[in-house]
Amino acid sequence: MIRYLAKRLFWMVPLLVGISLISFLIMHLAPGDITTTEAGFNPKASEESRQKLRKLYHLDEPLLVQYSLWLKRMATLDFGESFAGHQRPVLWEKKDEKGNVTKGMIQEALPITLLINILGLVLIVVAALPLGVISAVYQNRPPDRAITVFVFIGFAVPGFWLALIMMYWLGVVHAWLPISGIHSLGYERMSWLAQGWDVGRHLATPVFISALGGLAGISLFVRNGMLDVLHQDYITTARAKGLPENTVVYRHALRNALLPLITLLGLSIPGLIGGSVIAESLFAIPGMGKLFYDAVLMRDFPVIMGILTIGAALTLIGNLLADIAYAWADPRVRRGVGQ
Amino acid sequence: MLRNFLLTACLALAACGKQAAVSAADLDRPYPPEQGGALVDAMSGEPSGLIAMLAGESAAAAIAANLFNSLLKYDKNLELEGELAKSWEVSKDQKTITFHLKPGMKWADGAALTSADVLFTWKLVTDDNTRTPYGADYKLVLKAETPNPLTFRVTYAQPYAPALDSWAGLQVLPKHLLEGQDINTTPFARHPVGSHYYQLDEWKNGERISLKRNPNATQGQARIDRLVSRFIPDPAAQFLELMADNIDSMGLSPIQYARIFPARPELTRKIAQYKELGNAYTYLGFNLKHKPWDDRRVRLAINYAIDKQELIDGVLLGLGEPIASPYKPGTRWSNPNLKPYPYDPAKAKQLLKEAGFEDHDGDGILDRDGKPLAFEILTNQNKQRELSAVLIQRRLKEIGIDVKIRVLEWASFIGRFIKTGDFDVVVLGWSLGQEPDQFNIWHSSQQDPGKFNFIGYNNPKVDKLLEQGRLELNPDKRMKIYHQFAQQLYDDSPIVYLYAGYGLPAIHKRVKGIDNPAPPAGIGHNSYEWYIPEPLRRTEIAEQ
Repeated sequence: MIRYLAKRLFWMVPLLVGISLISFLIMHLAPGDITTTEAGFNPKASEESRQKLRKLYHLDEPLLVQYSLWLKRMATLDFGESFAGHQRPVLWEKKDEKGNVTKGMIQEALPITLLINILGLVLIVVAALPLGVISAVYQNRPPDRAITVFVFIGFAVPGFWLALIMMYWLGVVHAWLPISGIHSLGYERMSWLAQGWDVGRHLATPVFISALGGLAGISLFVRNGMLDVLHQDYITTARAKGLPENTVVYRHALRNALLPLITLLGLSIPGLIGGSVIAESLFAIPGMGKLFYDAVLMRDFPVIMGILTIGAALTLIGNLLADIAYAWADPRVRRGVGQ
Repeated sequence: MLRNFLLTACLALAACGKQAAVSAADLDRPYPPEQGGALVDAMSGEPSGLIAMLAGESAAAAIAANLFNSLLKYDKNLELEGELAKSWEVSKDQKTITFHLKPGMKWADGAALTSADVLFTWKLVTDDNTRTPYGADYKLVLKAETPNPLTFRVTYAQPYAPALDSWAGLQVLPKHLLEGQDINTTPFARHPVGSHYYQLDEWKNGERISLKRNPNATQGQARIDRLVSRFIPDPAAQFLELMADNIDSMGLSPIQYARIFPARPELTRKIAQYKELGNAYTYLGFNLKHKPWDDRRVRLAINYAIDKQELIDGVLLGLGEPIASPYKPGTRWSNPNLKPYPYDPAKAKQLLKEAGFEDHDGDGILDRDGKPLAFEILTNQNKQRELSAVLIQRRLKEIGIDVKIRVLEWASFIGRFIKTGDFDVVVLGWSLGQEPDQFNIWHSSQQDPGKFNFIGYNNPKVDKLLEQGRLELNPDKRMKIYHQFAQQLYDDSPIVYLYAGYGLPAIHKRVKGIDNPAPPAGIGHNSYEWYIPEPLRRTEIAEQ
């Protein structure tokens, strides 16, 4: 098992380098760089000063030289600083000699995105499990049909449209929930409890919107898994033994039906750090999606590469975790790994 | 019971933070000016830093303008007046400008603001290590000196008329806080200390910037205590926040201004709409190095074939003006004798015929030497420009020109097409500057890749006028030069002026003291005189 792990971890390194090289090259395929986007069309900004900036950022060097410079920094886990005017560190905070701390861009954007995505994922699982089980138990009967129609409507409704409708209805018409942002104006002076309540109220709509789209996939997944299991011989046996239907469904069937869900959740780990550009712009949430989108429009290469690299690393780790969790949950897989 | 309690608690919490409803009569009643209150507005972007010479975005400029002063500023009619400078004089040979600073000025931290700070800022902006794109104007200064703490003098190798505008654009930074630091990475950019009406109170990354009144302000005291700018990227979300009374002001789109507002009395009851001349115009530009755009008759034909009023009505819902020179109508630089080319398709056809374009093969498209008159309009992702291109496409089709439209993301548009000169016709915008010098845009020497005369305009008469305009510091003589320049542009028609849209700010009626109708400089010119009467203030932002 340990040898298997070590082997998997070892092969992740060249894979990561390969991914980063391809990302780097694709990123540079897009025309323009930071000097064309920042003050690029201001007649007061001269071409000479833009050339100066290009040199400062090594943008005038051949691509492979730029890539090796980047790789050299990455080898020491230095994600560098943004090209934008503020020159903030991409990943983590830095302290200057005077003790001023500048927070990293990903450091600030990640927690809020993680929070929304984890809450969304929890909401999805909590809602999808009972929905899926009910669908399977009442297969092709009215409860199943109703649930399927509901989750598909949730899947099909454009998120931004529903978000706007909810913002209008909950925020403007009834003033029950805040419309955008994550903190109210007087946040700093609130008590600890009130602060939590305030953030919760701000996040309610974004989390609901982010969960609604994922509900259909997972609940149908659970439904089909349950249907497979419910038609197995051992379920018939369990029923024949005279076990109560609840025990049959929840103890014998559901546990086995959950196995494939582990893979699905493992694969959704990298998704946790990616925010939705549309939802974040709409709700004015300073998360990862907005950070990445703005960086692409600005051609802010260090930030783009930083996010892509972390995303790639998390995808690989998520795959690994899913495999391990699978081995832990399913003896058949465990034996296969051991051999 | 418990459910009832929870429900009440929810509603109570939801309601707190909202001020008691103020009746329309209260909002419309006159109030005497008084100090205090907070104004919350929305911005679509976040500044990268608050040192304006380094940060290129408009968001940075908007906030820095409340924190820092320049030597000069523009008044409500866009004429120059002193800001830090009490007065200034130009020497006889027009090469030296002497600024006399107002006495007793202080930075927000209490340190004295003197000519040494101005000199320090000039050194910063001209330093090769400073990552600023704006150094060029200031590098022309041959010698900068400070004979005494209240005098700053600059000498140019030859008279340079845009200099005065450049000194209105350079925000003076404090020497005592920045000396010896790397300006590019200094934490000062996020913790600025300025000299204007406001100082930074708090900056929450990605959420908002709060400013509070600066008790040491050099220009007197503003009336509103606090300015909060929330970053809300989506205009629809901004509008919802405005409706829900969570922000006090935002810039409206023409649809919001002309369609949504009039249909909703609850909005017009509490929110006032303003209209001010915009700072930019939209144009259709020809690549003069490509055929047939080198032929003036073809350019004029297109100009006659485009109905500008139709564009203003269709794209801006009437909220814009046609222009005939690259200057704000109503200001001194705009030539009052020029009138926009009228819509006249018959004349357009006539001109094209003179240029040799006729429908020889009967396919409905004009052609010359067997080649049809067909081209592509390039523009960037900007709804108004896209819509304009579509309306132009239709009008040109009517006179037998086949037009295709291509919309691109900004950086690709600039990098792939503008820099390489690989385009036929573009729809783009230029700003309607306060400074008349447009050397960088129209002079024939400015055609290299990355420079701004990318359409390849080359007229020796215009070159000469632009050079003269830069040498003449007398405003009246300068005016004549730029009126002639605008006349030449008008005759040559290297671009088609499409329209200049209005800025459409909406501001809650709790804010009083706003000039309406707006002067040429816009409503913001006296924002320090705006005030919010006590009974109308927000309650969720506590006074400090």
